[in-house]
Amino acid sequence: MSARLKWASLAAVALVFGGLYLRAFDAPPPARFPPPRASAQATPSAPSYRSQLLPNSSAQVHSATAVELADGRLRAFWYGGTREGASDVAIYTSAYSPKAATWGPERAVMTRELAQRHLHRYVRKLGNPVAGRDRDGRLCLFFVSVSVGGWAGSAINAMVSEDEGETWSAPRRLIASPFLNISTLVKGAPLLLSDGTIALPVYHEFLGKFGELLRLDAEGRVLGKTRLSWGGSSLRPVIVPRLETEAVGFMRYAGDPPSRILMIRTSDAGAHWSAPVKTALPNPNAAVASVLLAAGPLVLAFNNAEENREELSLALSTDFGDTWRVARNLEAESPPPRAPVAEYSYPWIMQDSSGELHVLYTWGRTRIKHAVFNRAWLEGGGR
Amino acid sequence: MTAIFGLGGCGLLCVALIAVALRLDALAIRVRCALAFVAALAVFIPFGDLSAAAWVRGVTGDLSVPTLALAASACVSRIAGRTLFAPREWRALLAAVAAAGLFLYPFALGFTPFDPYALGYGSVVFVTVLLIATLGAWRAGLNLVVLVVVVAAAAYLAGAYESRNLWDYLIDPLAAGYALAVLPWRGARS
Repeated sequence: MSARLKWASLAAVALVFGGLYLRAFDAPPPARFPPPRASAQATPSAPSYRSQLLPNSSAQVHSATAVELADGRLRAFWYGGTREGASDVAIYTSAYSPKAATWGPERAVMTRELAQRHLHRYVRKLGNPVAGRDRDGRLCLFFVSVSVGGWAGSAINAMVSEDEGETWSAPRRLIASPFLNISTLVKGAPLLLSDGTIALPVYHEFLGKFGELLRLDAEGRVLGKTRLSWGGSSLRPVIVPRLETEAVGFMRYAGDPPSRILMIRTSDAGAHWSAPVKTALPNPNAAVASVLLAAGPLVLAFNNAEENREELSLALSTDFGDTWRVARNLEAESPPPRAPVAEYSYPWIMQDSSGELHVLYTWGRTRIKHAVFNRAWLEGGGR
Repeated sequence: MTAIFGLGGCGLLCVALIAVALRLDALAIRVRCALAFVAALAVFIPFGDLSAAAWVRGVTGDLSVPTLALAASACVSRIAGRTLFAPREWRALLAAVAAAGLFLYPFALGFTPFDPYALGYGSVVFVTVLLIATLGAWRAGLNLVVLVVVVAAAAYLAGAYESRNLWDYLIDPLAAGYALAVLPWRGARS
């Protein structure tokens, strides 16, 4: 190599590393969790509970998620098809009107073919959706897709809607794993951080099973990530902040007995997380959901057994996860009918701006069930 | 724009695999060029919904610069009958890729709290280690290593791919697997 070329290559090194240092120094500083929500006026009211099945045309449905719309309605998303993992599985949506207490007709918002076309790559099947909002108030929908293999081959995609879910942007791929970007899935709700970035709980299940918290910019690009757990037995994290720096997380447990829900904590806004510890609550290797009520207890929706998903319960904690009281058994307290296959799983829980709680869950793999109730009903049950 | 770079890289890999599989270097130069041209067109033409490049991209994602360098080298050697860099340069690049792979991938499996992949989102320490290694390669006259790092860093800064992680431009499992597979063989031969 000539001397001139050698020095030119050194200049190129200097130039690109100058850019790399600028990018590294320009990385966003740590952000805080969203401040606790103002309490919905807890006017004394009689216990209230009602439930219904969402409309769906698919033979099998799973993994519901929901977000409250600006007009007070609820918009739910789930995936459905002839069976889990089939190529005809699509992401569906429907909107719930609290005044009429009815769900509108279902509509597909993403199909395998549409994802394939927009992502410019082969897509074999679709999976879990998760909904949230970004700093501009746009709806965000994250969903899993697989090109090769089973769910361990998953990647996450993101798209946004500026009209409350009527129309959607083209999806973009999130890159979160160095293994050909496979094995990243979502189930927990995204959190809008103090600086407008989004914290998205994800998990990996390629050899290791562990949780991570991705940090995304407004365009859905991954800015960084933090490991929530490690090893081969924790997945499907859900994160619940209490203060701007303090949060608790719960995870599905896939390890040796005794099978218990795992819990993690942070007191520095997610920069560091405690090692997972087993709670007193059982877990049959199934997803859980949690929400902190405005000026109220922490609520956990979970399968109250170590071996099966036949009982979906709600537990309350007034000490932010240290101790629990099982308050309600959702399916046992619902009027008939019962699902042909007694599997009630994959809960999604949220509190709307009026203070009512909503739980959506998979009902016998064939329907999504919606239970809506108030705090008086929730706290009136159990011992 | 990221789709163009991503598909382009996967298309290049397809053409390289075709050139190697068909042993183009054994054919007359005109036949080689004609077949390479047809292959380059064919991998981007959709069959059904997708082109061959898009199918490969579904499996591999966007390819790192070392993988692209290996693919480009295979194309040049099978089609033009030339080698762009000396064997010593390739050995150095493969050794660097293998070392990076041995550091990155076991930890990325999630069996420890340490996650080196997270460093790729913007770590001064990571950039400094990479700078020292690159300057070492420059000092030793390992131009291919320097070129690969410069192109990877420039592509990362330009946002050529969907990833915002520097690791994804520097290494992928294809390059790491190839390096770990052929390095002992090349080392024994040298």
